[in-house]
Amino acid sequence: MDEILLVEDNPDDVDLTLRAFRKSKIANEIVIARDGVEALDYLFATGPHAGRDSNSLPQLVLLDLKLPRLDGLQVLERIRGNPKTRLLPVVILTSSTEEPDLLTGYSLGANSYIRKPVDFQEFVVAVRRLGLYWLLLNQPPPHPPA
Amino acid sequence: MADRRRRRLSHAAIHLTAALGLVVLAVTSFVAYRHSTWLTAALIPSLLLLISSHALLAREIRRHEVIERALHDTNRELESFSYSVSHDLRAPLRSIDGFSQALVEDAGPALDAESRGHLDRIRAATQRMGRLIDDLLALSKVTRAEMKTERVDLTEIATQIAGDLARQAPDRRVHLTIAPGLTATGDPQLVRLALQNLIENAWKFTGRREQATIEVGATRDEDGFQAFYVRDNGAGYDPAFAQKLFGPFQRLHPASEFPGTGIGLATVQRIVHRHGGHVWAEGKINEGASFYFTLT
Repeated sequence: MDEILLVEDNPDDVDLTLRAFRKSKIANEIVIARDGVEALDYLFATGPHAGRDSNSLPQLVLLDLKLPRLDGLQVLERIRGNPKTRLLPVVILTSSTEEPDLLTGYSLGANSYIRKPVDFQEFVVAVRRLGLYWLLLNQPPPHPPA
Repeated sequence: MADRRRRRLSHAAIHLTAALGLVVLAVTSFVAYRHSTWLTAALIPSLLLLISSHALLAREIRRHEVIERALHDTNRELESFSYSVSHDLRAPLRSIDGFSQALVEDAGPALDAESRGHLDRIRAATQRMGRLIDDLLALSKVTRAEMKTERVDLTEIATQIAGDLARQAPDRRVHLTIAPGLTATGDPQLVRLALQNLIENAWKFTGRREQATIEVGATRDEDGFQAFYVRDNGAGYDPAFAQKLFGPFQRLHPASEFPGTGIGLATVQRIVHRHGGHVWAEGKINEGASFYFTLT
Protein backbone atom coordinates (compact mmCIF):
# COMPACT_ATOMS: atom_id res chain seq x y z
CA MET A 1 0.00 0.00 0.00
CA ASP A 2 2.61 2.53 1.09
CA GLU A 3 5.19 1.45 -1.40
CA ILE A 4 6.75 3.46 -4.20
CA LEU A 5 7.08 1.95 -7.65
CA LEU A 6 10.32 3.11 -9.23
CA VAL A 7 10.36 2.45 -12.97
CA GLU A 8 14.00 2.83 -13.99
CA ASP A 9 16.26 0.78 -16.25
CA ASN A 10 19.63 2.29 -15.40
CA PRO A 11 21.09 0.37 -12.43
CA ASP A 12 23.24 3.35 -11.43
CA ASP A 13 20.17 5.54 -11.29
CA VAL A 14 18.34 2.88 -9.25
CA ASP A 15 21.16 2.79 -6.69
CA LEU A 16 21.46 6.57 -6.55
CA THR A 17 17.71 7.02 -6.17
CA LEU A 18 17.63 4.44 -3.35
CA ARG A 19 20.53 6.21 -1.71
CA ALA A 20 18.75 9.55 -2.02
CA PHE A 21 15.63 8.04 -0.40
CA ARG A 22 17.73 6.64 2.45
CA LYS A 23 19.40 9.99 2.98
CA SER A 24 16.00 11.66 2.99
CA LYS A 25 14.76 9.19 5.64
CA ILE A 26 11.97 8.01 3.41
CA ALA A 27 11.22 4.56 4.74
CA ASN A 28 8.54 3.43 2.29
CA GLU A 29 9.19 0.16 0.56
CA ILE A 30 10.50 0.71 -2.94
CA VAL A 31 9.58 -1.69 -5.70
CA ILE A 32 11.76 -1.53 -8.80
CA ALA A 33 10.61 -2.23 -12.33
CA ARG A 34 13.36 -2.20 -14.94
CA ASP A 35 11.23 -1.52 -17.98
CA GLY A 36 7.72 -0.52 -19.01
CA VAL A 37 6.38 -4.06 -19.34
CA GLU A 38 7.59 -4.99 -15.86
CA ALA A 39 5.95 -1.86 -14.45
CA LEU A 40 2.58 -2.73 -15.97
CA ASP A 41 2.90 -6.38 -14.90
CA TYR A 42 3.38 -5.20 -11.34
CA LEU A 43 0.53 -2.68 -11.38
CA PHE A 44 -1.99 -5.02 -13.05
CA ALA A 45 -0.72 -8.19 -11.33
CA THR A 46 0.03 -9.98 -14.57
CA GLY A 47 2.99 -12.01 -15.89
CA PRO A 48 5.57 -12.68 -13.17
CA HIS A 49 3.40 -10.71 -10.72
CA ALA A 50 0.25 -12.76 -11.41
CA GLY A 51 -0.06 -13.74 -7.74
CA ARG A 52 -0.13 -10.18 -6.44
CA ASP A 53 -3.33 -8.56 -5.16
CA SER A 54 -4.17 -6.21 -8.02
CA ASN A 55 -6.30 -4.03 -5.73
CA SER A 56 -3.24 -3.01 -3.79
CA LEU A 57 -1.61 -0.12 -5.59
CA PRO A 58 1.58 1.78 -4.77
CA GLN A 59 1.20 5.20 -3.21
CA LEU A 60 3.34 6.77 -5.91
CA VAL A 61 4.90 5.83 -9.24
CA LEU A 62 8.25 7.38 -10.21
CA LEU A 63 8.52 6.97 -13.94
CA ASP A 64 11.60 7.33 -16.12
CA LEU A 65 10.80 8.09 -19.77
CA LYS A 66 13.46 6.30 -21.75
CA LEU A 67 12.90 2.62 -21.04
CA PRO A 68 13.42 -0.62 -22.95
CA ARG A 69 10.36 -2.30 -24.54
CA LEU A 70 7.49 0.00 -23.47
CA ASP A 71 8.74 3.55 -22.85
CA GLY A 72 7.58 5.75 -19.98
CA LEU A 73 4.98 7.68 -21.93
CA GLN A 74 3.40 4.44 -23.17
CA VAL A 75 3.31 3.16 -19.59
CA LEU A 76 1.62 6.40 -18.49
CA GLU A 77 -0.95 6.03 -21.27
CA ARG A 78 -1.83 2.49 -20.10
CA ILE A 79 -2.01 3.62 -16.47
CA ARG A 80 -4.42 6.44 -17.32
CA GLY A 81 -6.40 4.17 -19.66
CA ASN A 82 -7.26 1.65 -16.93
CA PRO A 83 -10.05 2.54 -14.44
CA LYS A 84 -8.11 0.88 -11.61
CA THR A 85 -5.00 2.98 -12.01
CA ARG A 86 -6.55 6.04 -13.64
CA LEU A 87 -6.02 8.25 -10.57
CA LEU A 88 -2.70 6.79 -9.41
CA PRO A 89 -0.17 9.58 -8.70
CA VAL A 90 2.58 9.39 -11.33
CA VAL A 91 5.67 11.58 -11.20
CA ILE A 92 7.89 11.60 -14.26
CA LEU A 93 11.53 11.52 -13.18
CA THR A 94 13.81 11.88 -16.17
CA SER A 95 16.91 13.48 -17.68
CA SER A 96 15.15 15.35 -20.42
CA THR A 97 13.50 18.73 -20.46
CA GLU A 98 12.74 18.50 -24.16
CA GLU A 99 9.46 20.23 -24.83
CA PRO A 100 7.78 17.27 -26.57
CA ASP A 101 8.42 15.09 -23.49
CA LEU A 102 6.95 17.68 -21.14
CA LEU A 103 3.98 18.29 -23.36
CA THR A 104 3.16 14.63 -23.96
CA GLY A 105 3.83 13.78 -20.31
CA TYR A 106 1.37 16.35 -19.02
CA SER A 107 -1.13 15.67 -21.83
CA LEU A 108 -1.22 12.02 -20.86
CA GLY A 109 -1.98 12.98 -17.27
CA ALA A 110 1.32 13.01 -15.40
CA ASN A 111 0.91 14.58 -11.95
CA SER A 112 4.36 16.11 -11.92
CA TYR A 113 7.52 16.27 -14.02
CA ILE A 114 10.94 16.38 -12.40
CA ARG A 115 14.25 16.54 -14.15
CA LYS A 116 17.08 14.60 -12.53
CA PRO A 117 19.90 17.08 -11.93
CA VAL A 118 23.52 16.09 -12.59
CA ASP A 119 24.51 17.26 -9.10
CA PHE A 120 23.74 14.44 -6.69
CA GLN A 121 23.25 16.83 -3.76
CA GLU A 122 20.58 18.64 -5.74
CA PHE A 123 19.04 15.28 -6.57
CA VAL A 124 18.86 14.37 -2.87
CA VAL A 125 17.09 17.67 -2.18
CA ALA A 126 14.66 17.01 -5.04
CA VAL A 127 13.89 13.49 -3.76
CA ARG A 128 13.38 14.74 -0.20
CA ARG A 129 10.89 17.37 -1.34
CA LEU A 130 9.19 14.94 -3.65
CA GLY A 131 8.78 12.43 -0.82
CA LEU A 132 7.56 15.08 1.57
CA TYR A 133 4.99 16.33 -0.88
CA TRP A 134 3.69 13.13 -2.45
CA LEU A 135 3.92 10.78 0.56
CA LEU A 136 2.96 13.16 3.40
CA LEU A 137 1.39 16.38 2.23
CA ASN A 138 -0.64 15.23 -0.74
CA GLN A 139 -4.01 13.53 -0.07
CA PRO A 140 -4.09 10.46 -2.31
CA PRO A 141 -7.16 9.77 -4.47
CA PRO A 142 -9.80 7.48 -2.86
CA HIS A 143 -9.56 3.81 -3.69
CA PRO A 144 -11.38 2.97 -6.90
CA PRO A 145 -14.22 0.47 -6.47
CA ALA A 146 -12.87 -3.08 -6.80
CA MET B 1 27.29 31.50 -54.93
CA ALA B 2 26.91 29.69 -58.27
CA ASP B 3 23.65 28.30 -56.97
CA ARG B 4 22.33 31.75 -56.11
CA ARG B 5 23.31 33.09 -59.55
CA ARG B 6 21.60 30.18 -61.26
CA ARG B 7 18.44 30.84 -59.23
CA ARG B 8 18.51 34.54 -60.13
CA LEU B 9 18.98 33.65 -63.82
CA SER B 10 16.08 31.22 -63.84
CA HIS B 11 13.89 33.77 -62.03
CA ALA B 12 14.84 36.35 -64.71
CA ALA B 13 14.01 33.81 -67.43
CA ILE B 14 10.56 33.25 -65.91
CA HIS B 15 9.82 36.96 -65.80
CA LEU B 16 11.21 37.56 -69.29
CA THR B 17 9.17 34.80 -70.94
CA ALA B 18 6.03 35.86 -69.09
CA ALA B 19 6.54 39.49 -70.17
CA LEU B 20 7.23 38.44 -73.77
CA GLY B 21 4.10 36.29 -73.69
CA LEU B 22 2.06 39.27 -72.53
CA VAL B 23 3.52 41.58 -75.20
CA VAL B 24 2.85 39.02 -77.93
CA LEU B 25 -0.68 38.50 -76.60
CA ALA B 26 -1.34 42.24 -76.64
CA VAL B 27 -0.01 42.57 -80.18
CA THR B 28 -1.98 39.55 -81.41
CA SER B 29 -5.15 40.88 -79.80
CA PHE B 30 -4.61 44.17 -81.59
CA VAL B 31 -3.88 42.37 -84.88
CA ALA B 32 -6.83 40.04 -84.39
CA TYR B 33 -9.01 43.08 -83.82
CA ARG B 34 -7.91 44.53 -87.21
CA HIS B 35 -7.58 41.30 -89.30
CA SER B 36 -9.56 38.56 -87.65
CA THR B 37 -8.45 36.00 -90.25
CA TRP B 38 -4.86 36.02 -88.86
CA LEU B 39 -6.01 35.27 -85.38
CA THR B 40 -5.08 31.61 -85.18
CA ALA B 41 -1.61 31.98 -86.69
CA ALA B 42 -0.70 34.97 -84.50
CA LEU B 43 -1.82 33.34 -81.25
CA ILE B 44 0.43 30.30 -81.64
CA PRO B 45 3.78 31.96 -80.69
CA SER B 46 2.27 33.62 -77.65
CA LEU B 47 0.81 30.33 -76.50
CA LEU B 48 4.16 28.65 -77.00
CA LEU B 49 5.87 31.33 -74.94
CA LEU B 50 3.32 31.04 -72.16
CA ILE B 51 3.70 27.26 -72.10
CA SER B 52 7.48 27.44 -71.87
CA SER B 53 7.34 30.01 -69.05
CA HIS B 54 4.92 27.74 -67.24
CA ALA B 55 7.32 24.82 -67.64
CA LEU B 56 10.14 26.94 -66.23
CA LEU B 57 8.02 27.92 -63.26
CA ALA B 58 7.04 24.33 -62.62
CA ARG B 59 10.70 23.27 -62.65
CA GLU B 60 11.59 26.04 -60.24
CA ILE B 61 8.83 25.01 -57.86
CA ARG B 62 10.01 21.39 -57.97
CA ARG B 63 13.54 22.49 -57.15
CA HIS B 64 12.29 24.46 -54.16
CA GLU B 65 10.30 21.48 -52.98
CA VAL B 66 13.44 19.34 -53.04
CA ILE B 67 15.35 21.96 -51.02
CA GLU B 68 12.51 22.29 -48.56
CA ARG B 69 12.36 18.53 -48.06
CA ALA B 70 16.12 18.37 -47.44
CA LEU B 71 15.82 21.20 -44.89
CA HIS B 72 12.94 19.45 -43.18
CA ASP B 73 14.98 16.23 -42.94
CA THR B 74 17.99 18.07 -41.54
CA ASN B 75 15.80 19.76 -38.98
CA ARG B 76 14.28 16.46 -37.90
CA GLU B 77 17.70 14.89 -37.60
CA LEU B 78 18.84 17.82 -35.47
CA GLU B 79 15.79 17.39 -33.29
CA SER B 80 16.36 13.69 -32.71
CA PHE B 81 20.03 14.39 -32.07
CA SER B 82 19.36 16.92 -29.34
CA TYR B 83 16.63 14.67 -27.97
CA SER B 84 19.09 11.85 -27.46
CA VAL B 85 21.74 14.23 -26.13
CA SER B 86 19.21 15.48 -23.62
CA HIS B 87 18.28 11.94 -22.54
CA ASP B 88 21.47 9.94 -22.81
CA LEU B 89 24.48 12.19 -22.35
CA ARG B 90 23.52 13.35 -18.89
CA ALA B 91 22.87 9.91 -17.38
CA PRO B 92 26.58 8.90 -17.11
CA LEU B 93 27.35 12.29 -15.56
CA ARG B 94 24.80 11.63 -12.85
CA SER B 95 26.52 8.34 -12.08
CA ILE B 96 29.98 9.94 -11.92
CA ASP B 97 28.78 12.76 -9.69
CA GLY B 98 26.56 10.57 -7.50
CA PHE B 99 29.12 7.87 -6.80
CA SER B 100 31.94 10.38 -6.24
CA GLN B 101 29.72 12.02 -3.68
CA ALA B 102 28.91 8.61 -2.16
CA LEU B 103 32.64 7.92 -1.89
CA VAL B 104 33.24 11.23 -0.11
CA GLU B 105 30.43 10.48 2.32
CA ASP B 106 31.20 6.82 3.01
CA ALA B 107 34.99 6.73 2.85
CA GLY B 108 35.73 10.42 3.46
CA PRO B 109 37.42 10.00 6.86
CA ALA B 110 39.69 7.28 5.48
CA LEU B 111 40.83 9.45 2.55
CA ASP B 112 43.66 11.94 2.77
CA ALA B 113 43.10 15.57 1.83
CA GLU B 114 44.58 15.15 -1.64
CA SER B 115 42.26 12.27 -2.54
CA ARG B 116 39.27 14.23 -1.31
CA GLY B 117 40.48 17.12 -3.47
CA HIS B 118 40.60 14.80 -6.48
CA LEU B 119 37.05 13.70 -5.85
CA ASP B 120 36.00 17.34 -5.65
CA ARG B 121 37.64 17.94 -9.01
CA ILE B 122 35.81 14.98 -10.54
CA ARG B 123 32.52 16.42 -9.32
CA ALA B 124 33.33 19.95 -10.50
CA ALA B 125 34.25 18.65 -13.98
CA THR B 126 31.08 16.58 -14.12
CA GLN B 127 28.94 19.56 -13.32
CA ARG B 128 30.79 21.67 -15.87
CA MET B 129 30.03 19.10 -18.52
CA GLY B 130 26.39 19.06 -17.43
CA ARG B 131 26.26 22.81 -17.96
CA LEU B 132 27.95 22.48 -21.36
CA ILE B 133 25.34 19.96 -22.46
CA ASP B 134 22.54 22.24 -21.27
CA ASP B 135 24.05 25.21 -23.09
CA LEU B 136 24.51 23.21 -26.27
CA LEU B 137 20.87 22.17 -26.13
CA ALA B 138 19.78 25.75 -25.50
CA LEU B 139 21.80 26.88 -28.53
CA SER B 140 20.20 24.28 -30.76
CA LYS B 141 16.78 25.32 -29.47
CA VAL B 142 17.52 28.86 -30.67
CA THR B 143 18.10 27.44 -34.14
CA ARG B 144 15.01 25.25 -34.09
CA ALA B 145 12.53 27.60 -32.42
CA GLU B 146 9.69 28.89 -34.58
CA MET B 147 9.96 32.62 -35.18
CA LYS B 148 7.26 35.17 -34.61
CA THR B 149 7.57 38.64 -36.11
CA GLU B 150 6.18 41.55 -34.17
CA ARG B 151 7.13 44.97 -32.86
CA VAL B 152 9.67 44.58 -30.05
CA ASP B 153 10.46 47.27 -27.48
CA LEU B 154 14.19 46.86 -26.82
CA THR B 155 14.27 49.71 -24.32
CA GLU B 156 11.72 47.98 -22.12
CA ILE B 157 13.39 44.58 -22.41
CA ALA B 158 16.85 46.01 -21.63
CA THR B 159 15.42 47.85 -18.63
CA GLN B 160 13.87 44.64 -17.26
CA ILE B 161 17.10 42.68 -17.75
CA ALA B 162 19.19 45.39 -16.08
CA GLY B 163 16.70 45.53 -13.20
CA ASP B 164 16.99 41.78 -12.63
CA LEU B 165 20.79 41.98 -12.65
CA ALA B 166 20.81 44.87 -10.20
CA ARG B 167 18.49 42.96 -7.84
CA GLN B 168 20.73 39.89 -7.97
CA ALA B 169 23.85 41.92 -7.14
CA PRO B 170 22.74 44.83 -4.95
CA ASP B 171 26.33 45.67 -3.94
CA ARG B 172 27.47 46.28 -7.53
CA ARG B 173 27.64 49.92 -8.59
CA VAL B 174 27.03 50.17 -12.33
CA HIS B 175 26.29 53.32 -14.26
CA LEU B 176 23.75 52.09 -16.78
CA THR B 177 22.14 54.10 -19.58
CA ILE B 178 19.48 52.73 -21.89
CA ALA B 179 18.40 54.92 -24.79
CA PRO B 180 14.63 55.54 -24.95
CA GLY B 181 12.45 54.42 -27.85
CA LEU B 182 14.55 51.50 -29.14
CA THR B 183 12.17 49.37 -31.21
CA ALA B 184 12.57 46.79 -33.95
CA THR B 185 10.65 44.04 -35.70
CA GLY B 186 11.55 40.55 -34.59
CA ASP B 187 10.78 37.58 -32.38
CA PRO B 188 10.26 38.98 -28.87
CA GLN B 189 11.63 35.94 -27.04
CA LEU B 190 14.72 35.59 -29.22
CA VAL B 191 15.48 39.33 -29.12
CA ARG B 192 15.16 39.21 -25.34
CA LEU B 193 17.57 36.27 -25.20
CA ALA B 194 20.10 38.13 -27.39
CA LEU B 195 19.89 41.29 -25.29
CA GLN B 196 20.08 39.27 -22.10
CA ASN B 197 23.30 37.59 -23.23
CA LEU B 198 24.87 40.91 -24.25
CA ILE B 199 23.86 42.83 -21.13
CA GLU B 200 24.82 39.95 -18.82
CA ASN B 201 28.21 39.81 -20.54
CA ALA B 202 28.69 43.55 -20.06
CA TRP B 203 27.66 43.13 -16.42
CA LYS B 204 30.09 40.25 -15.93
CA PHE B 205 33.08 41.79 -17.70
CA THR B 206 32.80 45.09 -15.81
CA GLY B 207 32.82 43.17 -12.51
CA ARG B 208 36.29 44.44 -11.61
CA ARG B 209 35.67 48.09 -12.44
CA GLU B 210 35.25 50.64 -9.68
CA GLN B 211 33.24 52.80 -12.09
CA ALA B 212 31.42 50.31 -14.30
CA THR B 213 29.55 51.82 -17.25
CA ILE B 214 27.11 50.01 -19.53
CA GLU B 215 25.29 51.69 -22.36
CA VAL B 216 22.50 50.33 -24.56
CA GLY B 217 21.67 52.39 -27.63
CA ALA B 218 21.20 52.53 -31.38
CA THR B 219 23.26 53.79 -34.29
CA ARG B 220 23.50 53.03 -38.04
CA ASP B 221 25.57 50.35 -39.74
CA GLU B 222 27.64 51.12 -42.85
CA ASP B 223 24.60 50.47 -45.08
CA GLY B 224 22.49 52.90 -43.07
CA PHE B 225 20.40 50.25 -41.31
CA GLN B 226 19.51 50.68 -37.66
CA ALA B 227 22.03 48.88 -35.46
CA PHE B 228 21.68 48.38 -31.71
CA TYR B 229 24.66 48.21 -29.40
CA VAL B 230 25.62 47.23 -25.88
CA ARG B 231 28.81 48.99 -24.77
CA ASP B 232 30.81 48.56 -21.59
CA ASN B 233 34.08 49.74 -20.07
CA GLY B 234 35.01 46.28 -18.80
CA ALA B 235 37.81 43.82 -19.47
CA GLY B 236 37.49 44.12 -23.26
CA TYR B 237 39.25 41.61 -25.51
CA ASP B 238 42.26 41.26 -27.75
CA PRO B 239 41.12 42.33 -31.26
CA ALA B 240 43.52 39.76 -32.74
CA PHE B 241 41.06 37.07 -31.64
CA ALA B 242 37.92 38.98 -32.58
CA GLN B 243 36.80 36.36 -35.10
CA LYS B 244 36.71 33.78 -32.31
CA LEU B 245 34.28 35.79 -30.20
CA PHE B 246 31.12 34.35 -31.71
CA GLY B 247 32.18 30.68 -31.93
CA PRO B 248 30.37 28.29 -29.57
CA PHE B 249 32.44 27.43 -26.48
CA GLN B 250 35.11 29.96 -27.45
CA ARG B 251 36.41 31.97 -24.55
CA LEU B 252 38.92 34.83 -24.61
CA HIS B 253 39.27 35.02 -20.81
CA PRO B 254 40.22 32.27 -18.37
CA ALA B 255 37.19 30.76 -16.60
CA SER B 256 38.88 31.48 -13.29
CA GLU B 257 38.61 35.24 -14.01
CA PHE B 258 35.18 35.34 -15.59
CA PRO B 259 32.95 32.26 -15.30
CA GLY B 260 30.93 30.93 -18.22
CA THR B 261 30.87 28.21 -20.86
CA GLY B 262 31.31 30.49 -23.88
CA ILE B 263 27.88 30.01 -25.40
CA GLY B 264 26.43 33.52 -24.98
CA LEU B 265 27.79 35.28 -28.07
CA ALA B 266 27.22 32.21 -30.24
CA THR B 267 23.58 32.37 -29.17
CA VAL B 268 23.46 36.10 -29.99
CA GLN B 269 24.92 35.47 -33.42
CA ARG B 270 22.41 32.74 -34.23
CA ILE B 271 19.50 34.89 -33.15
CA VAL B 272 20.73 37.85 -35.21
CA HIS B 273 21.32 35.66 -38.27
CA ARG B 274 17.87 34.16 -37.96
CA HIS B 275 16.50 37.69 -38.23
CA GLY B 276 18.60 38.32 -41.33
CA GLY B 277 20.85 40.76 -39.46
CA HIS B 278 24.54 40.82 -38.65
CA VAL B 279 26.56 41.22 -35.48
CA TRP B 280 30.03 42.63 -34.86
CA ALA B 281 32.21 43.82 -32.04
CA GLU B 282 34.73 46.48 -31.21
CA GLY B 283 37.08 46.36 -28.26
CA LYS B 284 40.56 46.35 -26.79
CA ILE B 285 42.09 44.65 -23.79
CA ASN B 286 41.09 46.53 -20.64
CA GLU B 287 39.30 49.22 -22.63
CA GLY B 288 35.85 47.71 -22.78
CA ALA B 289 33.85 46.20 -25.61
CA SER B 290 30.94 47.21 -27.83
CA PHE B 291 28.63 44.69 -29.46
CA TYR B 292 26.52 45.81 -32.39
CA PHE B 293 23.69 44.00 -34.13
CA THR B 294 21.06 44.67 -36.76
CA LEU B 295 17.77 42.81 -37.04
CA THR B 296 17.16 43.34 -40.77
